[in-house]
Amino acid sequence: MIYFDNSATTRTSDAVAKSIYDNLTNDELFGNPGSLHKLGMTAGNKYNEITADIAKNLGCKNTEIIYTSCGTEGTNTAILGYLSKNQRAGKTIISTNTEHKATLETLGHIAKQGYNVVYLKVDKAGKPDLAALEEELAKGDTAMLCFTHVNNETGSVLPIEDIMKIKNKVSPKTVVFLDCVQSLGKLEINLAKLGVDMASFSGHKIHGVKGVGVLYIKTNVRIDPFIRGGGQQSGLRSGTQSLMLAESFAVALKEAVEARANAFEHVSEINAYLREELTKRGATINSPEDGLPFVLNVAFDGFQSETMLHALESFGVYVSTVSACSSKTKKPSYVLLEMGIDRKIAANSVRLSFSRYNTMDEAKEFIAIVDKVYDMYLVR
Amino acid sequence: MASNVILARMGEVTLKGLNRGKFENQLKVNLRYRLRNFGKLSITQSQSRIWIEAKSEDNPAFAGEEAAQEILTAVTQVFGIVSASLALKFEGDFDVIVKEAIAYVDKLLQEHPEYKTFKVESKRGNKQFPLSSPEICTEVGGNILDNFPQLSVDVHNPDFILNVEIRDYNYLYSGKVMGHRGLPVGTAGKGMLLLSGGIDSPVAGYMMASRGMQIDAVYFHSFPYTSEQAKQKVVDLAKIVSRFSGKMNLYVVNFTKIQLDMVKNSPEDMITITMRRVMLQIAEELAKKSGCKCLITGESLGQVASQTLEAINITNEVATLPVLRPLIGIDKQETCDISRRIGAFETSILPYEDCCTVFVAKHPKTHPSHKDIENAESKLDIKAMVEMGLNEGLEIIEI
Repeated sequence: MIYFDNSATTRTSDAVAKSIYDNLTNDELFGNPGSLHKLGMTAGNKYNEITADIAKNLGCKNTEIIYTSCGTEGTNTAILGYLSKNQRAGKTIISTNTEHKATLETLGHIAKQGYNVVYLKVDKAGKPDLAALEEELAKGDTAMLCFTHVNNETGSVLPIEDIMKIKNKVSPKTVVFLDCVQSLGKLEINLAKLGVDMASFSGHKIHGVKGVGVLYIKTNVRIDPFIRGGGQQSGLRSGTQSLMLAESFAVALKEAVEARANAFEHVSEINAYLREELTKRGATINSPEDGLPFVLNVAFDGFQSETMLHALESFGVYVSTVSACSSKTKKPSYVLLEMGIDRKIAANSVRLSFSRYNTMDEAKEFIAIVDKVYDMYLVR
Repeated sequence: MASNVILARMGEVTLKGLNRGKFENQLKVNLRYRLRNFGKLSITQSQSRIWIEAKSEDNPAFAGEEAAQEILTAVTQVFGIVSASLALKFEGDFDVIVKEAIAYVDKLLQEHPEYKTFKVESKRGNKQFPLSSPEICTEVGGNILDNFPQLSVDVHNPDFILNVEIRDYNYLYSGKVMGHRGLPVGTAGKGMLLLSGGIDSPVAGYMMASRGMQIDAVYFHSFPYTSEQAKQKVVDLAKIVSRFSGKMNLYVVNFTKIQLDMVKNSPEDMITITMRRVMLQIAEELAKKSGCKCLITGESLGQVASQTLEAINITNEVATLPVLRPLIGIDKQETCDISRRIGAFETSILPYEDCCTVFVAKHPKTHPSHKDIENAESKLDIKAMVEMGLNEGLEIIEI
């Protein structure tokens, strides 16, 4: 099996699986962190340790993160929670049309409630129009910027430093929400340095498990909770905390951060090799040159996305057409179309996405399989 | 103690002459098969009606109203049944009947507070019963009027009718669910349905089954051009048809190599027709092997390029068995309506590619001639293609 679909989800690492097993079989750790007795305290202490560990690896304070169920919940909580709490912060939100559906659908929802959502145009490399951003910010009504650090379909990297500079100069009070689901563990992330106000992360994209994510909310940024109840997690997300899930995230993050520099280099080699070999074979590379090497969006001439996906599948190779959340809707990727990529090329595009566990041998085998697919299945 | 029973009414079957018994027996066999997952049931016939009830009281299928409704729906999906009602069965004299009738109406009015008028209809199978049918109506009706002052009698256009039947036991019911009519499946031989993933072919299968035909189906799978999801969709559609048509074998033909060979060796604008001719030949061989006496397609005249009269002529020529096309003169809207009624529509419109759409030319020939097809097939080894379809990777799924 060659798994090149790591932007959809990743295999749980052995260390994460072990941490979950250990957690579940440890008689001293099953208490409710909110309980007053000894079992509760033991769990609560461990929970705080884990949270501090995550905060350290993200470059923030442990009081600045809450656990969520996934990246999508983090995004919803950040956008809806901030706007609900800060109704006088302005009525404009600036974003792009290449965001993940979690952001786009949430923005569509608030637009119906009277907010003015401005979608900046993106160029061929997927980067938003910064002049337009400055112009829009200068109007003085912008409550929030919502951007994605790394685009899930193309690997385009957002020029976040430039955006922060413009924002701080023109409209310092505007808050910034950054979707870091695809960048975590791949780019260096230090939240204090980045300066964003809120950021969402997901466990299963970094060899953790599905069911846990983290939302960063900077000190002094106030939001309304999305889930109300017993007041856990500073009242920002009620519900009994799961020590097991929190620890799974911490272990996955620690591994990802430690492996990051090597993984980046290693995956860059795989990416460069595939770019070259696929280009030789007439494929069109949609990912920008300066994109994150972990994602390679490529159009195979003569094959509709889905046909290529299934053909590769028959050789045990797993890739994705457009982002898995929308791949059943049967339209070419809206991200690629928004970037100005020709409809025909978009309809033939698949996404290869890598992790530190992929090897050069797999990349070579992949190319051999692509050749076989062309021999066997090319129509005309 | 009162229990739930289902009263099902037969339709066209009862018009049969000397062979009526054969049709009735098949209908009962089909009911038994359709209701096989509902525990032990007794299915008995008296005249043009069939009574279905639990064999013992501990069969949970009839215990609750909801479960009984599920059986009722299943019964109405068996061809040969015109309508069915869920009835209450109990023993006792006339006082008990009145008491049960009042309780029954009370419950009915809770569900339908809008009901204002009613009528009582009665049948008396047990001629020993002291009251005549009209007397039963008057007495039961009078008691209902006394107990529910908001109701009045309307014999012409009532909001609800309360039926009282007195036989070996007493029965109460109101309203009926219409069935799918038709003739019992198994009384009109077996046909091979060419099932794609679209709207038409499941409806075509349903329509032939409604005339008593047992159905087997064949699907042409072109992985990777059509996905596993597309195949699953066809399996799901076959299951929907089989709710009405009973046991079915679905033949999945591995069509990829055949299609690729065609694309390489015959003109683009004739691909669809050439493909359909090969499909028909493979389907016919499978039909003969499995005892089917005809082929069934969902073609409707003029709907697409391959369904013009010329194209149908050219396609039809390769078949020796009759090709039945129940939708040939039916408007698409009507087909969609039937598709919705049998619960297939939502599955049919799922977006996965089906076998007909991937290799379609932009401008297919709409009026092909013999010369066109001779030319199109000149470089193809059709016989080998049919053999390949029958032998290489054929999968048989029992639905």
